[in-house]
Amino acid sequence: MISDLLKWLLMFIFSLILQTSFVPIITLWGIKPDLPLIVLFFFSLKFEVLPAMLVGFFLGLGQDIYSPSMLGQNAFATMVCGAFVGLFNERVMKTDPIIKAVLLFLTIIIHDTLFWLIQIIRLADSFSLLFYNLFRYTFLRCVYSILFASLVFLWDIYIKPKTRW
Amino acid sequence: MQWLINFFISHRNLTVFLILSFTCIWMLLSTQVQQQHIIRYLTISIFYPVQVFINQTTKIKNIFHENQKLKEEVANLSAQLAIAKEYEAENQRLVEMLEISKNFPFTLVPARVVVREPSIISRSAVINAGKNRGILPYMPVITTRGVSGRVVFVTNNLALVQLLIDPANRTSIMLKRTREIGILETENSSVFFIMFRAHADVALKDTVITSGMGGIYPKGLLVGVVSGIEENKDPLFKKAFVQTFENFDKLEEVFVVKLSSQWCSFKNELDSITRVK
Repeated sequence: MISDLLKWLLMFIFSLILQTSFVPIITLWGIKPDLPLIVLFFFSLKFEVLPAMLVGFFLGLGQDIYSPSMLGQNAFATMVCGAFVGLFNERVMKTDPIIKAVLLFLTIIIHDTLFWLIQIIRLADSFSLLFYNLFRYTFLRCVYSILFASLVFLWDIYIKPKTRW
Repeated sequence: MQWLINFFISHRNLTVFLILSFTCIWMLLSTQVQQQHIIRYLTISIFYPVQVFINQTTKIKNIFHENQKLKEEVANLSAQLAIAKEYEAENQRLVEMLEISKNFPFTLVPARVVVREPSIISRSAVINAGKNRGILPYMPVITTRGVSGRVVFVTNNLALVQLLIDPANRTSIMLKRTREIGILETENSSVFFIMFRAHADVALKDTVITSGMGGIYPKGLLVGVVSGIEENKDPLFKKAFVQTFENFDKLEEVFVVKLSSQWCSFKNELDSITRVK
């Protein structure tokens, strides 16, 4: 159990490091994959709602501290994402890669919608900004993130067929 | 109280969700100063290990950046050093050229080799001096080390120099010590030789200079040194091999000796004979 937790902790830290070091290199027209969110997604699929929520909250809080966003903004959005994906965890239901991809797509949309909503409410900005950002960034970000997550799906299906997430 | 605890336990997901949500809302609604306090508190408490880890990673990242920057700096400095060395060598050569031009009895036109014949052994070179600087065909070309060749073709700004290594170029020379006269030849652009009569007084390390005959090179220009003698192959001649002073692979700056060929005054007459033929 402890080794499992340590493994996940390392994966989260590794994803955060990659997000700040490697991801800016592969950013295309301002669109970049969200690696910590992808790791949270797989974590939430493996565990239940409660750990997924807590991990999502602290992961988002960490992002809030180390990135120029409002404190609580990422924490709330990521926590909700953790809770959402945790509802579909594999102890409750078995999901195939297509469903997982759709779930990841929805997760990122939920995350970004909440993120931008908080920003708009806090800064009393126009709501049209939400739709603009969703169409301009989020959908492509979903696709880009799913491409990265598909590596894990491939690993899951072909390389490690006996051990499911 | 018991029912409350039971409610929390039975609805723990919802409870945690609400607690976390309220925490987030509290953080969002707090002022900038309060947020800074919270961040400070979090970074020195629960996020301290992460902070340390990120700091270390940032250090590593900085090391990579620093390494990259240092590599670029080294490359720049190496390039600058190479340029400086080049200038130094050029300066040295120009000083030598200046010395020779002071002591030389003829007018010298300095020029730079701008094109070399693109073959393994360069047999001719183009210099950046032409008619605009008074260069004429058949003017000798020398360097500080000795004879290099002769001008064979001139345009307004450039001149083509036939180097000594061209097998078609034969130069009248003499041995400085014994005044024996001969023709400097080459067949492969690398080995130079002179055919002397069998009884000629030729010794190793004899200095070879221009003889002044042939009408192109003035007398006494350094050419090379006798590096070998082949005596027994031919009863009539001995073959003296010459090591030229000039390194034709490293020809960069040259002088054109402003000296018209000795038969220049007869040129019109010669040309008229050619036309009559």
